[in-house]
Amino acid sequence: MNLSNLPTPHPSLPVNLIPKLPIRHLTAPIIGRSFAIPKLLLHGTPAAKRVRATVDGDGGKTGNWVNRLPIPGLGAENVFRLISSATGSPIGQFISSPVTFLHSVDPRIKLVWLLTLVVLPARANIVVRLGLVVCTALLSISVLPRQVWMDQLARVSLLSGILFITLGLGSDGAPPMLQSRTPPSSLTGLPDLPMSLTGYSYMLLKLGPLQFTRKGLSIFQSASICLATTTPEQLALAMRWFLFPLTYIGVPVGEIILTLLLSLRFINLVFDEVRSVALGIVSRRVHWKQLTVLETLDIFASFIRRIFKNIFRHAEQISQAMIVRGFRGESSSHKIYFFSGSSNKFADFASVLGLIGVISTALLSEYFFV
Amino acid sequence: MNANCLFSPSPPPRLFPLRSTSSVSPSVYRRTGVVSEDVAVECRNLCFSATTRPGISVPILRDCYLRIPSGQLWMILGPNGCGKSTLLKILAGVVNPTSGNIFVEKPKNFVFQNPDHQVVMPTVEADVAFGLGKYPDMSLEEVKSRVVTALDAVGMRDYMQRPIQTLSGGQKQRVAIAGALAEACKVLLLDELTTFLDESDQVIKLELGVIKAVKELINAKTGGDVTALWVTHRLEELEYADGAVYMENGRVVRHGDAATVLDFIKAKQSSYIDQIGF
Repeated sequence: MNLSNLPTPHPSLPVNLIPKLPIRHLTAPIIGRSFAIPKLLLHGTPAAKRVRATVDGDGGKTGNWVNRLPIPGLGAENVFRLISSATGSPIGQFISSPVTFLHSVDPRIKLVWLLTLVVLPARANIVVRLGLVVCTALLSISVLPRQVWMDQLARVSLLSGILFITLGLGSDGAPPMLQSRTPPSSLTGLPDLPMSLTGYSYMLLKLGPLQFTRKGLSIFQSASICLATTTPEQLALAMRWFLFPLTYIGVPVGEIILTLLLSLRFINLVFDEVRSVALGIVSRRVHWKQLTVLETLDIFASFIRRIFKNIFRHAEQISQAMIVRGFRGESSSHKIYFFSGSSNKFADFASVLGLIGVISTALLSEYFFV
Repeated sequence: MNANCLFSPSPPPRLFPLRSTSSVSPSVYRRTGVVSEDVAVECRNLCFSATTRPGISVPILRDCYLRIPSGQLWMILGPNGCGKSTLLKILAGVVNPTSGNIFVEKPKNFVFQNPDHQVVMPTVEADVAFGLGKYPDMSLEEVKSRVVTALDAVGMRDYMQRPIQTLSGGQKQRVAIAGALAEACKVLLLDELTTFLDESDQVIKLELGVIKAVKELINAKTGGDVTALWVTHRLEELEYADGAVYMENGRVVRHGDAATVLDFIKAKQSSYIDQIGF
C-alpha cells in the first residue's frame, strides 16, 4: 500500500498567540453602526439575516478575558487604596475635648453603667429596651461632637440593621415537634393548666415566613460613649479596682492591667503599620492589570509578611524602650501611675442615681408592661 | 584639590587625655570609677561587631574614644552607617559591646530615634509618668508635678490627656523627650531627636523647640550635673552644642569643641564637592 497517496491530515486547531495587551476593536459610537463589521445588505432576501459572532473582540482571537470581567472596586489596587486611606483612629477612641459631663464621672461608675446597659436589655421589656436605645442615642448627640456622633450612630445603625436582617428576621432553627404528654383535660376532667404569668413571648412578630424574635435588638453605642469619654488609663484603673480582690487568690492583676495598657497602645501601631505598608504598595504604581492572579496573590502575601515583620520589630524596640525606662519585667516592682482625672462628686452622684433609676425601671417593667 | 583626602586614613583623634585602666571589661570599668569627677560619659577602645547569619563578624565600632564633660550638650555627627546610633545604644546599655571600657554617669536615659518605639502608654501623661514607675516610693503629687513640668518644657502641657495616636510625629517625639526629662537624669542620650520634627520645632520657635528644651534643662541645673549626648545629621544644630564628635566607618575621627568639628566637616564637604566637580 502506498501511503503517500493517502490524504495528509492537517490539524484544524489554529494556534493563536495571545497578546500581552490585546488590541481591542473600538465599538462604534453610534448604536447599530458597526464600522469595524459592516452590515451585510442582502437585497432580495429580506427574511434572511446573518449574525456574525466572534469569541473575542480581537477578530476571534482569545484574549486575556479575565481583565474584561466587570469587577470594578474589587481590584487589588482599590483594596490597597482603601486600606491606605482608612482612618488611623480606631473605633471608639478617647476624645479629650470638649470636656463634658461624662468626662468627669468616675470610671468605675462608667464601667458599671456599661455592664448594666449590656446586661439589662436581655432581661427588660421591649419598651424599656427601646427607651434605652433612644436615651443612649440622645446622650451621644448631646455629649459627643457632631461629626463623632454622626459617624458613630451611622455605624451602629448599619450594624444593627445588618443584625436585624440576619438575626431578627431569620429563623432561629427548626421548631421542635411538640406533643404534650399530659392527657387533655377533656379526658381527665381536670381544669386546664394556668398560662404563664410572665407573659413571655419569644416570637414578637410574624410576617409570613419571617419572624421577629427577642434577640434582634442590642445596644452598642453605650460602649462607644464610654470609650470616647474615658481614657484607657482610667478604664484600666477601674478594672484594677474591680479585679483587686482576685489578687488574694493569686491572680496576677497587675500584669493583666499592664498587658491591657500595652495592648491598647500597640493596637494603634498595628493600624499605622498596615496603613503605611499599603500606602507603600500603592505609591509603587504597580500595573495590576498586567499581573496574573498568582502574582497578585504574591504581592498580598508580601504585604502581610511585611506587616508581621514590622510589627515584631516594633515589639522588640518597645521592649528595649521599656527596659531603658526602668522596667525590669515585673509589674509588681514597677509602679504604673494612673491619673484618674477630675472626678466630679455631683456627676458621680447623679450618674449613680440614674443607674439605680434605670435598673428599677427595667425590673418593674416586667410587671407594668405585661 | 587633593582627591585622595576622602579616602586617606583618618587622622588620629584629638582626644582629651584619658587615665589608664587595667580593666578591659566595661562592667569592671564602671565599678572601678577611675574617671575624673567632671566627666559624665567616657569610653575607650570600644569595639562592637555584629555577627551575620553565615557567621561572619562585621565590625561596627572600632576603637572608639569619647569623653564628655558633665553639664554640657555634645553632638555626634557622621554619615549614615558610621555607628552613631550603635555607640549611643551601647552607652545606654541596650547593646553590649564586644570589648572596651565605658563609663556613663547614672541615672541615665535614652530617647529612641522613632518615638513610636519610645512611647509605650496610650495617653500622654501616663507615658511621661511611665519611667517614674521605677521609684515606687514617689508620691503621686511628685509624679504629677514632674509630668507637668516636663510637658511644659517641651510645650505639650495642653496635650496631657490626648491619646498618643492622635499626635503628629513631632509631638510624639516631644512626649518621648518629656518622659526622659521627667526622670531628672544626669545623662540624656538622644538619638536623632529632630528626625520627626519640622523646622519650626527645631530652631525658629525656640520657645517650643526641643533643642531649647534640652539646652534649658542643662543650663537650669546649677553645678552642671546634666549632660546630653545628641546624635544628629544637621550641621545647623551644632550652634547649640558645647562640643561635638565626628565619626566615620565606626571610628571617632574628630572630638572637640563644636566650632572645630564644624570647620572639619565643612572642609570635608568642600573637598568632596571639588572632587566630584560640582
